[in-house]
Amino acid sequence: MAHEPANPDPTANQGSLEEQLVAYLDGELDDRSNRRIEELLATDSEARDTLERLEGTWDLLDNLDRAHVDEVFTKSTLEMVAVAASEDVEQEKSEAPRRRRRWSLAVSAGMLGACAAGFLAVWLFRAKPNDQLLEDLPVLERLDQYRQIDDVEFLELLLRSQEELFPEEVGDES
Amino acid sequence: MVSESSARRYALRDPDVRLMLEVRDDNAAAFEELMLRYQGRLVTVLEHLVHNRDLAEDLTQEVFLRVYRARKTYVPGAKFSTWLFTIANNVACNALRSKSRRREVSLEVRESGPFGARPLEGMVLASSGQLPARQLDKTEMRDIVRLALKALNERQRMAVLLSKFEGMSYADIAETMDLTPQAIKSLLSRARVNLREVLEPYIEHGDHPVPKNDAGH
Repeated sequence: MAHEPANPDPTANQGSLEEQLVAYLDGELDDRSNRRIEELLATDSEARDTLERLEGTWDLLDNLDRAHVDEVFTKSTLEMVAVAASEDVEQEKSEAPRRRRRWSLAVSAGMLGACAAGFLAVWLFRAKPNDQLLEDLPVLERLDQYRQIDDVEFLELLLRSQEELFPEEVGDES
Repeated sequence: MVSESSARRYALRDPDVRLMLEVRDDNAAAFEELMLRYQGRLVTVLEHLVHNRDLAEDLTQEVFLRVYRARKTYVPGAKFSTWLFTIANNVACNALRSKSRRREVSLEVRESGPFGARPLEGMVLASSGQLPARQLDKTEMRDIVRLALKALNERQRMAVLLSKFEGMSYADIAETMDLTPQAIKSLLSRARVNLREVLEPYIEHGDHPVPKNDAGH
C-alpha cells in the first residue's frame, strides 16, 4: 500500500477542499478519495463544519417547487406535434414527384452504366480467343502435315537432315 | 458514432430508451407516454432556469417537438433522460440568449417580502446581521431560495438543477451540458459555495431568534 502523506492542512487550498467535499456529498469520489475525506472529517472540525453548511444549503433547495402540468398542457403539446407531423407529411408529398424523377434518372444512369460495363467485358473476352488463333496460325496452316508426325524430336531430326541433304533450300527459306 | 453493442445496452437497461425506439417506429402511444413521464420534470427544471412559467412551458413543448422530429435518426447513445435534457439545455440556452438580446428583465419583486424591493441586497444585509432575524415561513423560504438560485450564472444554475431535480451524475450532467466531468465538479462546487454564502444567514438564524450577542458566527 502506498504511503499516505500526513493529514493535509484543511485551510490550505480551500477551493479544492470544498470541491472534494461537494463531490463527497454527491457520491462522486472514488473509494480512495472517499476514505481520505472521511479521515479528514474525523479529525478536522472546520472541514466538518464546511460539510454541514454545504449540505444544509443543498437541502434548502428542496423548498423549490416541482411543476405540475395538467391535461390541457399535455393535449396542447400533442396537438402541436400532430400539426408538425402533418406538415411533414405534406412536405413529403410535395417532394415525392421530384424524388421520383431523381430516382428514375438514377436508375437509367445505372442501367446505362451496366450495359456499358457488360459490353466492355464481352469485348475484352472475345478479343482473347482471336488473339490465340492468330498466334496459332502458322501451326494451323500446316496442320495436315503435322498430323503425320508423332513427336517434336522427329521434326527436329528431319530439319537437321534437310539441312544436310538440301542446304540450298534451307538457305532460301531462311 | 454509437456502436451497436452500446445501443443495445442502453435499450436493455433504460425503459425510456425502449419507448423512444417505439417512437422511432411511429408509435404515437409511446410518444405520449414519454411526454407524460417527462413533461413535469422538464417544466420544473426549465422554470427554475428561465424564471418564467409560461416560457418554461413553451420551451418544454419545443423540446418534445424536437424529440419527435429527431425520432427517425434516434440511436441510443446515452440514457434517454441525458439525451432529453441535452435538448432541453440547448433549447434553454437559445431562449436565454434571445432574452438577453431583447434586454427583457423579469422582475419578481415582492413588496411584502422580508427585504422589500431589493431582496438580494436584503440578503447581503442580513448576512451582516443588520436586519433582525425572524422566522421565515415556507413561502418566504421558497422565494429566498429561488432568488439565491437566480444569483448563480446560467451554467451553474443548470448544473444545480440537473443534480438536484434529476439526480444526474457528474458524467451525465457533463454529457448534457457538453462539458467534462471535472468541469462539472468545479461548476457545482462554485455554485454550492455561492448558494451557501447567500443562504447561510437563513441556515444560521433558521427558526430560532438570534440573540443580540450572537450576530453571525
